[in-house]
Amino acid sequence: MTRQRRLVDAPWRHAPSQGTMGWNGDFGGSRISWAGFRERIGAWQRRLDKLAPPGQRWLLYHSDPVAFAAALIALWERGDSAVLPADDRPETLDTLSRLATARLGEVTGGLLADVDQAPRWGDLRPDRVAVSLFTSGSTGDPKQLDKSFAQLDAELAAHLALWPLDGRLVISQVSHQHIYGLLFAILRPLCEGAPMATRACRYPETLSAWLQRLDNVSEDDIQAPRSAVLISAPPPLERLPAELDWHPARERLARIHSSGAPLSAAASAHARTVLGIGVSEIYGSSETGGIAWRDQQFNDHWAPLPGIEIRNDAEGRLWLRSPFLADPSAWECQADRIAPVADGFRLLGRSDRIAKVGGKRLSLTGMDRSLETCHGVLQARTLPLATRDNRLGAIVQLAAECIPHDHATRRELIQALRARLLSAFEPTVIPRYWRFVETWPTNAQGKLSAEIVALLFADLQDRRLPRWLGVENNGAQACRVALEVPERLAYCQGHFPGQPVVPGVVTLQWAASLARRHLGLDGSFHRLERVKFPQLLLPGDRVWLSLTWRPDAEGGRLVIDLSGQRGCHASGRMHYVATEIGDAS
Amino acid sequence: MTNALETELKQLIIDTLELEDVTPEDIDPDEPLFVEGLGLDSIDALELGLALQKTYGIKLEADSEETRRHFANLKSLAALVEARRVK
Repeated sequence: MTRQRRLVDAPWRHAPSQGTMGWNGDFGGSRISWAGFRERIGAWQRRLDKLAPPGQRWLLYHSDPVAFAAALIALWERGDSAVLPADDRPETLDTLSRLATARLGEVTGGLLADVDQAPRWGDLRPDRVAVSLFTSGSTGDPKQLDKSFAQLDAELAAHLALWPLDGRLVISQVSHQHIYGLLFAILRPLCEGAPMATRACRYPETLSAWLQRLDNVSEDDIQAPRSAVLISAPPPLERLPAELDWHPARERLARIHSSGAPLSAAASAHARTVLGIGVSEIYGSSETGGIAWRDQQFNDHWAPLPGIEIRNDAEGRLWLRSPFLADPSAWECQADRIAPVADGFRLLGRSDRIAKVGGKRLSLTGMDRSLETCHGVLQARTLPLATRDNRLGAIVQLAAECIPHDHATRRELIQALRARLLSAFEPTVIPRYWRFVETWPTNAQGKLSAEIVALLFADLQDRRLPRWLGVENNGAQACRVALEVPERLAYCQGHFPGQPVVPGVVTLQWAASLARRHLGLDGSFHRLERVKFPQLLLPGDRVWLSLTWRPDAEGGRLVIDLSGQRGCHASGRMHYVATEIGDAS
Repeated sequence: MTNALETELKQLIIDTLELEDVTPEDIDPDEPLFVEGLGLDSIDALELGLALQKTYGIKLEADSEETRRHFANLKSLAALVEARRVK
């Protein structure tokens, strides 16, 4: 049986025509059959055939899982490969477009499927490159990682052996532009003939509603799935609201996966309590694919995936030999340190990070640990900044009661941290740029990515920007952004002499630009309503900017509230016309 | 006049060294600029020397006893600029 579930066996060609390929849990949503899916593959081929003969590389970005899957198989069966950008930012797409014949999917300049037609099948040789992925580390440029069909198939076989889908619905909360989402949310259901959710359910409200629909499916509906597997990640699992109705989850969820970063023991237990089932975590990377797994209700150490060999060296670094790597016979060294246990290993954290600061070699890990011994510091990461040669930045997560709220408290805190570091480090290596956060800032994969780091230090480069210190999303149409007013903000120069304050209109400009970033607001600003600036906003002040988008007939209103410890600094509504709201991922 | 120059120098120090958490009011003219007080270090000294040269045309010998004396606090720095500026 297993042999027919490999990508190179192309199981989608033979899946029963009337069987369910895509299941839609939205109200009144319809399902997609395998026959219908094959016609969609044909539709993409029709588009590609008009552009170029087989043997191309196409950039593919599409947030709709079914459309993504159809495009991917269409180009594979033609004899092409896919370049998968990690995100859809214009810079990312511009860089990667150079590697591809054209852009496919829902991006600027992206081509979409033509009209449905019967597909054409090709030859999926194991050694062919199937996809090129790109890493998103916290430093450095993205690295290209080519994956052959043989590599992907080796990993899919390991997943199938451990966690067979058995026809369950696959619901995803993660991006399939990354290796984890690609394997778990797209390729596994395609290979195992299981249905996939027709859209990502990133928000807990959507997930709860979909599980409710699944629970209400009639027994007579023989093509509907009976239970589901959730493909998740630490950020959504850590923020699962217990007050939603999760009864259907306890009935219908058969398994939960998480990857991207380790899940804390508390978050794992929380998810288990709320959803009624344990979380199977996968540890790995874009380079290596999956390495090991665990379910913290049984073990907090990691067990290697089938076929993977693990050992450690004198420095404790993890070495692995894996059938998911391009060379399955070679041992590869990882940056993580491990301690072996009877049937697996414990993760001890990253091996020492060394930086050269002002010509001096320095252990950043040592500095992080030193900061973590300071009062109120929960987590710290010191790092060299791409834009500043000689000075370090520091991202410090503090207990809520230790967060500074104004110039004086922030300065006092920095002096205390500096004093602590001066006992162990030379003055020139002590961080100059401090970013204090209440929750550890991560991307949707649970990682402090280069993009997030750039956002945290963006005010250094552009003195018109507020200092961005994290965002909390509250559904797709509301969020809360932590901000600080930089002491050197351009707008405060001479406004007013001797008593700098932030002009009210500047805060509205910030609100509009942050709504574009975090809520995907994309319309033209029309007029202001009920705008008030009750309290002066001063350099050094820390505030929460709450943004709520309320769509209406002409467009919508952005409701703004900017408040800090001294009260409200700005509130009001901005009206937009002909607006669209994007996926705020 | 000294006060205006002191204010100007405070801003020069903050801008040159990108002291994010410091405002001109935080710099006490009598307090040491280096190590204690403002907590500047040897890299800062080099950058400050460069800025003084660019802004006021003052040339300083790096690492001399004299330079160290001029850099003691904001007052001594202002006195240096006043005495030796060519711009």
